[in-house]
Amino acid sequence: MKLWMPLIASAVVSLSVIPALASAQERMPDTTQRKQPLKVWGAQFEELEYRYSDSDEEIGVWDADFFYGTDNFKARWLSSGEYSFEEQAYEKLENQLVGQIPISTFFDAKAGVRFDTPEGPDRTYAVLGVAGLAPQWFEIDANLYVSKDGDTSADLDAEYELLLTNYWILTATFDATAAFSEDREIGVGKGLVSTETGLRLSYDLVDRAFSPYVGVVHERKYGDTADFARADGGSTEDWFVVVGARLSF
Amino acid sequence: MMRTLVAGALSLLLPAIGLAGEYNLTVDRVTIDTGEFVKEGVGYNGTSPGPTLRFKEGEEVSINVTNNLDEMTSIHWHGLILPFEQDGVPGISFPGIKPGETFTYRFPITQSGTYWFHSHSGFQEPEGASGSIIIEPEGREPFRYDREYVVQLTDKHPHASERVMRNLKITPDYYNRKQQTVGEFFSDVSENGFLSTVKERLAWGDMRMMQADVEDLQGFTGMINGKGPEQNWTGLFEPGERIRLRFINSSAMTYFDIRIPGLKMTVVQADGNNVQPVNVDEFRIGVAETYDVIVRPKDEQAYTIFAESMGRSGYARATLAPEEGMEAPVPGLREPARLTMADMGGMPGMDHGDMGSANKMAEMPDMDHSNMEGMDHSAMMMPEGGASDPFYAKGSGLVPTAANGGKFLSYADLKAQKPLYEEREPAREIELRLTGNMERYTWSINGVKYEDAEPIRLKYGERVRFKFVNETMMTHPMHLHGMWSILDVGAGQWNPIKHTVSVQPGTTVYMETEVDAPGQWAFHCHLTYHMAAGMFRKVIVEGGPESTQAAFSEQPSEIGGDV
Amino acid sequence: MSLAKFAVAAVAISMPLAALGAGTHGGGHGHSAKSGEPGKASDVSRSITVEMYDNYYEPEAIEVKPGETVRFLVQNKGQLVHEFNIGTPDMHEAHQKEMMMMVEHGAIQGGKLNHDMMEMDMGHGKSMKHDDPNSVLLEPGESQEIIWTFSEKGNIEFACNVPGHYQAGMYGEVNFN
Repeated sequence: MKLWMPLIASAVVSLSVIPALASAQERMPDTTQRKQPLKVWGAQFEELEYRYSDSDEEIGVWDADFFYGTDNFKARWLSSGEYSFEEQAYEKLENQLVGQIPISTFFDAKAGVRFDTPEGPDRTYAVLGVAGLAPQWFEIDANLYVSKDGDTSADLDAEYELLLTNYWILTATFDATAAFSEDREIGVGKGLVSTETGLRLSYDLVDRAFSPYVGVVHERKYGDTADFARADGGSTEDWFVVVGARLSF
Repeated sequence: MMRTLVAGALSLLLPAIGLAGEYNLTVDRVTIDTGEFVKEGVGYNGTSPGPTLRFKEGEEVSINVTNNLDEMTSIHWHGLILPFEQDGVPGISFPGIKPGETFTYRFPITQSGTYWFHSHSGFQEPEGASGSIIIEPEGREPFRYDREYVVQLTDKHPHASERVMRNLKITPDYYNRKQQTVGEFFSDVSENGFLSTVKERLAWGDMRMMQADVEDLQGFTGMINGKGPEQNWTGLFEPGERIRLRFINSSAMTYFDIRIPGLKMTVVQADGNNVQPVNVDEFRIGVAETYDVIVRPKDEQAYTIFAESMGRSGYARATLAPEEGMEAPVPGLREPARLTMADMGGMPGMDHGDMGSANKMAEMPDMDHSNMEGMDHSAMMMPEGGASDPFYAKGSGLVPTAANGGKFLSYADLKAQKPLYEEREPAREIELRLTGNMERYTWSINGVKYEDAEPIRLKYGERVRFKFVNETMMTHPMHLHGMWSILDVGAGQWNPIKHTVSVQPGTTVYMETEVDAPGQWAFHCHLTYHMAAGMFRKVIVEGGPESTQAAFSEQPSEIGGDV
Repeated sequence: MSLAKFAVAAVAISMPLAALGAGTHGGGHGHSAKSGEPGKASDVSRSITVEMYDNYYEPEAIEVKPGETVRFLVQNKGQLVHEFNIGTPDMHEAHQKEMMMMVEHGAIQGGKLNHDMMEMDMGHGKSMKHDDPNSVLLEPGESQEIIWTFSEKGNIEFACNVPGHYQAGMYGEVNFN
């Protein structure tokens, strides 16, 4: 029977190969993917929306996040902007490139650079921030910025999701920006600069990949910043109705 | 029939004597139709799940595995005791099987029972690469049946596994659609009062833990033997016959609670090893576990095999019927379980609940029942008196109860039918804390992921005691390759022999292992995405018969193409 | 177990015992009329040795004539407690409930019998004593005789009603010819 041949052969082989081997020695190192850190990428638009203000202003807004990395280190590109359809210009255009590492169970630290290239003067900042999940499920993102000219500012973003059902989600957001020095050229005064408060009702239409939403957003400028805005003929407080979608790839 | 180390060693010298069988498996791209969606997957001999391999104890098998994929593959023979080079874990037992290559596994069959096989490469297993193994014993079996069916469960997800992994890493609750909502808050308020509900929510929110964190991966279709609930796999019987059902949970992530309304089930085997028969109404099968049950439908009617996922997000369904086409009612899903603070027992800094049922059971006096004292112990065996199971944290929200109010199998009910090993004191205890971070979807052992971990070193011939301390909120089915896991249920030499041991949140579970297999082995959580995220170890058995040490010492450089 | 529950259980156990008793002695009970009755040594026509293993009998079927009196020599060659019980499937089913009680209360523990426990007063003057004439309950290594007169043709099995054992297949057919 043919079957016996390989059997006998293997028996012979296994008996003949008896090299003395230190028993403590690892027989083969595991160099498979399993032994490598898991690499993950992601692309998300936390906000991708059309805003219509109480003064009939129409703007397009996005807040996007692209990353690649491991549990220990991630490279992130954070992009956000506001495009005025009327003026056909970017009122705001920020891009950050940061590296991110975990610093506690629920928080990461970020460091990198931020490029602001809206209509008007550009700015480059160094960024240092923390992001993570605070008790009671508040998503927190806080950053400190130092511009090339030495102007410092900080922002704090907080987000809370309320599950009306497992698909209908009410998301409350609060963003605040403060400056420690004035940067008149770009209309930033010292102190509390601005806040943006939003409330969005979304529905997870396709998994968590595509979740259309509607909502309201309130923007307000404060102190010197508000004065600068008035002086420049802009508004200091706006209400928006927003329609958009959260995307995750 | 006590197996001694000497006998084990002898069996290695016997491969050329006795039966020999040759088997062929091809690893193929296949299309899987769940009845709800169709997806591409990986299968064997053109189907997923693959065929049932039927071996005979004492046989020397050769299995030719041909890789028709365009990537590396491997087959692990789950639960089989064999030389480590044949165990099929790329990077640990062998390099893997290259595309287009045929690899021949050769090993002696030294056991009997129900087992399974699956790929250990990448995410091929959750993509469908698994099949069943039935090994007939040399002698007679300690039970009788007229016919038998394999009932292989899978949880088929519409997303590709790579995508699932990525989604879980980015958004750990991506697939959790059983989370607590505003509506549940108000219903809890009306049930427990406003203050206590708010307090409870705040306590969980403070820890940033979800009571609903029972099932990572929802949205799957439960399958039995490759058939979705609508496709309804059907096993035929003649009324009055005894039917042996060989349940295999080859799911990626899903625990199932299984019942057959109208029938008692007698559990006769767990993980391929015979257990003293236990009559139950329902049982929970962990990922990678197997249970053999005998049922005896006496009436000329159909019966539904209903496998409800532990998180109640899905189910698999099949039918036993006197003729094709007959159906029985399909029950609805029960309310999803909610974790309780008891399930947090294992978290560091929390009350360290040593649930070691085992311990408690062991303490059970030698049943000196001259009076009624000690009677409350019996509550542990009869979970119907308020849900309690010594293998769950006291007060756990996960304790299963039978849908009909009857008997739900507990690990505590499992007693070896025949002890495999002589009982002896373990040489040492190895503590393995099961750790993780749900918000980051990292999973580890003793806080260290596999990528950063040193191997666990055991000495050939020793008996070790493993202490699992589950510090996470999830259930982990821990699978040690190559050697048996003797689960401590407090029954001494009658402790059951398993290959996969489920450790519930907030509990400590002990198992002992006779280190009787030289080589190196994998040891991991069998939840696919926990394993891939780092809940994995290599075990090196030092010493042992020399002939088995040779294998890979001469070709280490080309190993590890499992990419 | 609460006292109330225990009392219910005690009643539950006493009922089938009473039913069995009535059947075997009075002969008027439907079930046992088919099973037969304890036999006299003088009537024994032949002996059959039945070996009990974990969990099966050898032999798994026996041939008897209606009215025949047989001496069974029952030996437990396994490592677990086993029973040899002659009855109809319905009788076995009823008896399994009692045996379940015995296990739950520790009277049967795998390979051991707790005789103190079996003697224990369960209330209503009943105990878990296993003393039905149609059956023997043996620890590993024990053997015992049972003399039984089969009455008439019927669906008779010998069975082990230790929980799970019968369901797993520890039974044998009694074929009449």
